Amino acid sequence: MKLFSSHHCFNYAWDQVTAANWQKYPNKLSTHVVSVDILDRTIDVERKTLRTERLIGCKQAIPSWLACLVGSQQYSYVREVSEVDLINKTLVLKSSNLTMNHLLLVNETVVYAPDALLPATRTTFSQNAEFTAYATFSRVCDKLEDWLVERFGQNASTGKDAFESVLQTLTQKWQESGTFVSEVGTTIGDKTSEVLHEVGRLGKVFN
Amino acid sequence: MGNIMSVSFAPECTEAKNKYDDCFNTWYTEKFLKGKSLENECTEFWDTYITCVNSALAKQKIKPMLDKAREDQPFTSEEIRQSAGTEGK
Repeated sequence: MKLFSSHHCFNYAWDQVTAANWQKYPNKLSTHVVSVDILDRTIDVERKTLRTERLIGCKQAIPSWLACLVGSQQYSYVREVSEVDLINKTLVLKSSNLTMNHLLLVNETVVYAPDALLPATRTTFSQNAEFTAYATFSRVCDKLEDWLVERFGQNASTGKDAFESVLQTLTQKWQESGTFVSEVGTTIGDKTSEVLHEVGRLGKVFN
Repeated sequence: MGNIMSVSFAPECTEAKNKYDDCFNTWYTEKFLKGKSLENECTEFWDTYITCVNSALAKQKIKPMLDKAREDQPFTSEEIRQSAGTEGK
């Protein structure tokens, strides 16, 4: 078994990050994700937690030496379960592959939480993945696990850039519609909301 | 990006999915995050969408893989809270 882990900080508020999580795909950089479906969604009223099960369809290029082992399937599927906990302010996403999992299993956990120092404007991202290959020959398994760790690292870095661009686009949309400032906007009036919008834009320039 | 929405694994479900996603995203940002609603308000769109998805899952033989994963990796709320470091809170 091999492990991969990475950490990152997004300069956006936690609630914005969780909203963007639902609208992350499609984006220009994550071209391997071809479909996203919601299979189940429940709300735990007491815990103020939203639980979602999704099916993510991927088009992943695999190395030729692996294709001869497992066959070159066009699509692979990943099942993801997530929980948005409004009380503790955490978003956890856990996923594993449905396709080819008799040969290799990738178990991934991602946690988004408000940054300890700047909780209102920054969100931490931590990702952990474990890879287990089940092929008969240990040398093949070793090679496979190494390739997965390397590939996962490349994808993780692209994923961060992709999410940054999604957050940027959505934030602009939210600012225009006043989604994340509407409480203030409706109580103090349109002019103030315009000013707030400007201040928000200036803030972005200085950050 | 922004207005482009993701597609369903089953092309025939994409339209229903986009309608549901639209409703959900509005509810999520306007109500859920603001603590105004803990009730799913998109049930009408959800019912149409999930009926389509369930039939496609069976047709495309994804259902057995899914059921196995649900059994092997249940990803329970307890496991999730453990990952978040919020167990016992």
